[in-house]
Amino acid sequence: MFHRHARLFAALAAAAVVTAAAISVSASSGTPPAKAPAAPVSNLFRGIPEHDGVLGDPKAPVTLTEYVDLQCPVCAEASKQTLPWLVENYVRTGKAKLDLRALHFLGPDSEKAARVASGAKAQGRLWPFVEAFYAAQGQENSGYVTDDFLRAVAKASGVDADKALDAADGEPALRFLEQANADATRLGVESTPTFTVAEGDGAPKVLGSGVLDQAAFEKALR
Amino acid sequence: MTRRLAVAVALVGLAIAAYLTVVHYAGGTPVCAIAHGCATVQKSSYAELAGVPVALLGLLGYVAILASLAGDGERARTITAGLCFAGFGFSAWLTWVEVGELHAICVWCVGSALCMTALAGLSAARLA
Repeated sequence: MFHRHARLFAALAAAAVVTAAAISVSASSGTPPAKAPAAPVSNLFRGIPEHDGVLGDPKAPVTLTEYVDLQCPVCAEASKQTLPWLVENYVRTGKAKLDLRALHFLGPDSEKAARVASGAKAQGRLWPFVEAFYAAQGQENSGYVTDDFLRAVAKASGVDADKALDAADGEPALRFLEQANADATRLGVESTPTFTVAEGDGAPKVLGSGVLDQAAFEKALR
Repeated sequence: MTRRLAVAVALVGLAIAAYLTVVHYAGGTPVCAIAHGCATVQKSSYAELAGVPVALLGLLGYVAILASLAGDGERARTITAGLCFAGFGFSAWLTWVEVGELHAICVWCVGSALCMTALAGLSAARLA
């Protein structure tokens, strides 16, 4: 019996050493803190009209709506990978306009971010604000979405920070959140990013979720 | 009997780890029952250990455990136990990270953690 117990302890001891080493490497590889956005972000949206959060020609025949959570890393990735292409090929050409619904299911910081985004929307700069937010995005729910962070994002996107933060407590900000939730529930949007597409005044249909490839958009926007 | 059960559990773990490894390299989002917790976990900085995807480490771990289960001597049993305890310890840490740091649960990862927990128990029973 002693012999067997000795083996059990040997196995435990060896495992403890390996685990401790792995954890120390894993923990130190940890999370880079959110970086404050420094310079104004790209000129992606320059010259494109934005009306009530809808980017592009209001008469564009197709509306592509993106459901996001500003804290969601996949949303930032999708924005990086497909947004420039969508803007150049569909928005600038007047083929489609882009709408956005900011959900807030990841945590309280998502709601805070979405409320200030509503303030940016009131200034006709929702899309630049969202892009600047993604560029500076930190680890979700790590508490990086402070007033200072939001001010820096606003500044980088050409938004009046004081006005946007004041607007966060207002009625339009609440409606912005409620509309996003209501639409998401109605359409069965359960994850972010999810894209829906609508022709003219028709009902929106869910196009897909996650980082969609260009072919998926081409097929839907033909 | 315990050994057969351990092999079965290790095979389940192997399948989960293989799936997550493929997803990691394909850059996709895992099919997930809970709103995008899996994607959050897989895209976080904790998804890799010194550049090696954690999913791949799990895959290699299960392969090693299965290999060690081929033998049934004292030495093989000890090696199995060592591997399973280490797997259990690291899985416990990762689960803690999911809950405490990322606030996102990846059901596949939890599945693998449960496999490791079962394997740790089974391998300890074989030594006791």
